Amino acid sequence: MRQLRNILVVLGLILPTMTLAHGPSRQKVTVTTEVAADPAAVWEAIGNFHDMNWHPAVFETQGDGGNAIDSIRTLVLAEAGGPTVTESLYKYDADKMTYSYRIDDVAVEVLPVTNYSSHLTVKPRDGGGSLVEWRGAFYRGYPNNDPPAELNDEAAVAAVTSLYEAGFAALVERFGAP
Amino acid sequence: MAHRSHAFGIVAALALGATTVAAGDFAYVTNQNSEELSILDLDARKPVSVVPIPGKPAGVAVDGAGHVYTVSPDSKVVRRLDSDGAVLAEVQLDGGPIGVAYDADHSRVFVSDWYNARIWVLDARTLGVLRMLETGSAPAGLSVSGDGRWLASADRDSDQVSIYALEGLTLHRRPTVGTRPFGLRFAPDGRLFVANVGTNDVTVIDPQSGETLATVPVGERPYGVAFARGRAFVTNQYADTVSVIDLAGLAVIETLDVGEYPEGIDTTSDGTTVVVANWFSNTVSLIDAATMTVVGEIETADGPRAFGTFIQQRN
Repeated sequence: MRQLRNILVVLGLILPTMTLAHGPSRQKVTVTTEVAADPAAVWEAIGNFHDMNWHPAVFETQGDGGNAIDSIRTLVLAEAGGPTVTESLYKYDADKMTYSYRIDDVAVEVLPVTNYSSHLTVKPRDGGGSLVEWRGAFYRGYPNNDPPAELNDEAAVAAVTSLYEAGFAALVERFGAP
Repeated sequence: MAHRSHAFGIVAALALGATTVAAGDFAYVTNQNSEELSILDLDARKPVSVVPIPGKPAGVAVDGAGHVYTVSPDSKVVRRLDSDGAVLAEVQLDGGPIGVAYDADHSRVFVSDWYNARIWVLDARTLGVLRMLETGSAPAGLSVSGDGRWLASADRDSDQVSIYALEGLTLHRRPTVGTRPFGLRFAPDGRLFVANVGTNDVTVIDPQSGETLATVPVGERPYGVAFARGRAFVTNQYADTVSVIDLAGLAVIETLDVGEYPEGIDTTSDGTTVVVANWFSNTVSLIDAATMTVVGEIETADGPRAFGTFIQQRN
């Protein structure tokens, strides 16, 4: 739950008026994990865009169900009435066991990023089991020059990395290490 | 003797022809995440060298004479490099320098200021600041027209482009385009193609009149535009594809899969090959412009953006 607190850290920061612009340098994060279950079993658990309950930071997934392109989900974090993240699906391929989504709306106090997009993919692992990969591309939370430390490039990368690692720790616990 | 030297001339020409089937072009790819410039031999399809460029370089422009301009938004430094990547000049700016374009006729470079709604006009040799131009909000991509008449700026947060006459640098027109234009380029025929990341389309503009000639739907988050063989090639960042637009019909005739987060795009000097920087994959894809197929891939360093013109012959 330490990661969860990291994710949900409230910065208590009054931001100056922002432009619509984003930071100058897009960041990327790739986190992978290996689990003992075969890819079909893992995809069964995580391949539904409208069910993020496998992630320990997510209390509830709200949405209209289905995995159609442009489908929108709202993640309620931590507890009933907790902070929310609104995301939309822009690629979905059940055969390749991958989907891609972007964040449409999140407070930078919840996740210090903007223009965030992400791919979640399950692949077979050499020697059995599954390789799960989560990739994110995003700008820092502060769109202007000279960001405060809480909203700089490093803070954005650290927050997304801990978000992915928390999810994957839960998958390893559930499916076992290979 | 005359006969013999003539024959030798033919043999030499054939041999030369064989080694220059491709154009002798090199790609100068800015890698934003690793803060390096990858120099790629496009004929041999392999990297030649990787040169450190501090400050998260994104924008790039070549002058066609072996020099390369890079823009590092984090450190706000613009550099002029030789064909090996050695620094010939550099200037420390402020604000948020991002896009860059080269003006051969007046030996100038233009650099957009993402944060302060302006363009720096720099001396191409010394990088000394000559003057500033006022833009709309968050100018990003810049392009100079091949006929030497216009400079255009994609003013992202104003949903417009600013078009300046290169002669005198006066503001000529400010046409409205789609939502959040970021990359843009003049076609060889003089029309201006603007990629709108918010509306997933390309606005085609007559720069003289400022009129919109067409709005062409492309893929998700279009970013960069290049031209070859009577076609426009548009990178779609979120779709991991390149849309090919027929310049006569102004409609998409093909969509190609490339690497992940394709961004910068440019054409070899002989017009045969289009090169796409795949920001997430750390590669460039090589597209045969005639057959509209991906024919190769070359490794880059981490996070290739190549935002601008980045291919030229090496002198």
